[in-house]
Amino acid sequence: MTSSGQLNNKNQQPDSDYKSLPESYGNTEAALLPRDPNWMFIYWEITDNSKANLAKEHGHDIFEKARHVVRVYDVTSADSSKYFDIPVMIDARNWYISVQDGGRAYCCEVGLVLPDGRFIGIVKTNTVNLPTGRVSEVTDEKWMSVSSDFDKLLQISGVEHIGKGSGEVARSLAQRWEMLRSVFSRAEAWGVSSLSSHAPARPAAEKKFWLVADCELILYGATEPDALVTVAGRKVALNPDGTFSMRFALPDGNMDLPIKALSRDEADSRQIEIKVIRTTKNDGK
Amino acid sequence: MMENKEKGYFALVLHAHLPFIRHPEYDDFLEEDWYFEAMCETYIPLLDIYERLTGENTDFRVTMSLTPPLCNMMTDDLLRERFRRYYNQRLELAEKEVIRNRNTQFYEVAKMYERKFRRIRELYEDYYHGNILDGFKKFQDMGKLEIITCGATHGFLPLEIRKEAVYAQIKIAADDYKLRFGRGPRGIWLAECAYNPGDEIYLKANGIRYFFLETHGIIYGSPRPRYGVYAPVYCPSGVAAFSRDMESAHQVWSAEMGYPGDHRYREFYRDLGYDLEYEYVKPYLHQDGVRRNIGMKYYKITGKVGLNAKAPYNPGEAREMAASHAGNFMFNRERQIEHLNGFLGRKPIVVSMYDAELYGHWWYEGPDFLEFLFKKLHYDQKTVKMITPSEYLERHPDNQMIQPSMSSWGDKGYNEVWLNASNDWMYRHLHKAVERMVDMANRFPNADGILKRALNQCAREVVLGMSSDWAFLMTVGTAKTYSTKRFIEHTNRFIGLYEQIMGNRIEEKYLADIEWRDNIFSHVDYRVFSTGAQERAAAGARQ
Repeated sequence: MTSSGQLNNKNQQPDSDYKSLPESYGNTEAALLPRDPNWMFIYWEITDNSKANLAKEHGHDIFEKARHVVRVYDVTSADSSKYFDIPVMIDARNWYISVQDGGRAYCCEVGLVLPDGRFIGIVKTNTVNLPTGRVSEVTDEKWMSVSSDFDKLLQISGVEHIGKGSGEVARSLAQRWEMLRSVFSRAEAWGVSSLSSHAPARPAAEKKFWLVADCELILYGATEPDALVTVAGRKVALNPDGTFSMRFALPDGNMDLPIKALSRDEADSRQIEIKVIRTTKNDGK
Repeated sequence: MMENKEKGYFALVLHAHLPFIRHPEYDDFLEEDWYFEAMCETYIPLLDIYERLTGENTDFRVTMSLTPPLCNMMTDDLLRERFRRYYNQRLELAEKEVIRNRNTQFYEVAKMYERKFRRIRELYEDYYHGNILDGFKKFQDMGKLEIITCGATHGFLPLEIRKEAVYAQIKIAADDYKLRFGRGPRGIWLAECAYNPGDEIYLKANGIRYFFLETHGIIYGSPRPRYGVYAPVYCPSGVAAFSRDMESAHQVWSAEMGYPGDHRYREFYRDLGYDLEYEYVKPYLHQDGVRRNIGMKYYKITGKVGLNAKAPYNPGEAREMAASHAGNFMFNRERQIEHLNGFLGRKPIVVSMYDAELYGHWWYEGPDFLEFLFKKLHYDQKTVKMITPSEYLERHPDNQMIQPSMSSWGDKGYNEVWLNASNDWMYRHLHKAVERMVDMANRFPNADGILKRALNQCAREVVLGMSSDWAFLMTVGTAKTYSTKRFIEHTNRFIGLYEQIMGNRIEEKYLADIEWRDNIFSHVDYRVFSTGAQERAAAGARQ
């Protein structure tokens, strides 16, 4: 609607509610949320107590020695034990997770991978069922009749109806939907910067064995919630708790990412410079 | 048998919603204008149409969601008084403007505003005595309008982890509906059309028979939908889902090709709040005296020209255009339905879903368009029959059973608008509040006195924090400060009360202050969040 987003500050009473939210809740826990057929969002909290226990059990340098990962399990069926690891920093506290296949059930575990390959799980998430994002392969039809008084469900009836093949209708509608979607996608109006949300696809070439890989860059940090932060000269919007994160495409070459934070009263500043070099070598086969 | 001549059905669904915005701590609050503008430009004009059509014996059917926050705002005494202040000020200005613009090219449009604000006053005071829900209820009781509900605070259900939260959103909404309309809701608009497979069991548990889905919710369902989006499907639980027709959506919504962009229609961005002399318009601005839109506009879209080159608005010409667009829309529906009827071998239902506020607020002539459309469909053709989802299910109880796909009507079709870098920080706080609320509801099955009051207020704060509006506004960047503040406020109020309850030291003064601020759902019962309530509901609905 038409708000200018301005609060009326006149006569504003001191409002004790407008303080920032707790940084943590004192529980080691994690949650997983579905975003779309190929992306999920995980957030976690690992208490100092949990960290201390891990250090006690596995050595004080465990967090430097081990790789921090989110282990992503495909739990679609009980016997499936497929998983893969995404390298993260435990202190990032949240991450976007891309998966190749929609339509499956996933669960994640934040943990550490030791140099010898052993995995130490710290905290597990709930399970998320991702949508498939495509027209179903299943064409068996079931029909149901719900009585007109609306309150008694009748049993499933196998009524056969005349008409066109269901696949044909569904496919033509799906195509039209894609077309309309691309024509009037509200993307611009929403002002959403669009991340490419497609997992790498199998190349069309007729080779039997194949490999595709790519990488992206996620930068994150935290400062005082009212500080002014710039990354490579661009102002960054801070979350209310002072954290921030950005995600970049990472092409081959050098990338300089100077991060500057300026205190609200402009009396103090801090700077961190991150340089990233990417080189991709492809054996060309 | 006239009834059987039609080749298919057309269901118009208008989703009316605003977040709960009410600030008794201020005399004058900018964001409350969203509600007053929507009242003057959409909700009351729609009732005006329904009144006129009924008076002329023109039959029509429309399905409208009136979300619980909106119903609570419409019946709130403070907002009633502020709304009266709002339209009276506008009417006063409109009356002055008629005199000022005599013998100018703006005379007609000035007179139009005066007429409209007078009619608003007449409907609001003389017809509905300050309670426009009575107006909507009247047309529902006549069978012309089907009012459906929505999650208690328009909560985005696929991003809730605890099923207790999903159940509470539905149950609080269904109870609120009963209170206002004297019977349970038959249908629901899931906020943002966001569907998470399985959640419909909680609709069934509350007697709700159908909901709406975005196109791909059905197209990507399994097994494949035989009739695409042109027949409802039953979820495995037996709750019906109707899905959106994109062709009719496109005709109205599209930025370039849609009707609202016609050059004869009213220009939204050129407003008297900026055009009038400052001292003259100042009494009609907010107390801070900053120039803003006041909702009265004298120019038409004109073409691709700058705001200073717009031509004067001609109400008669714009109304003719609305009639012509209604004719075009009807023609397209007739052809679409004839074609689908032959293609499918069954009478299709075309479901057109829109934000209600599109009609009137964004597209000023939208209500005129709808009135013409209703009339033309009634008098000028026999191919298309307007219908409500309830009527359709009575006539056609046999439908395919499908598990629809997770989906929403947001950009890219899933949850990204409500879960991205601008708002993902919210969820750890929201989920923690829900978890604590559930724990408290389980721990105190029979609270009374001040503890019960505090627990009920906790329930209000949790549901207010769940509004999808906050995450949405952060994504689009409009009112981001306000929406962030609101989410943080409700979360902190919840935390404050939670700590007092768990520490057995509830401060009556603190509680009373929050009750006074966030007075939505005066009848809420915190036990709606208990695990037992949710499990019993799900088990009962699965039988």
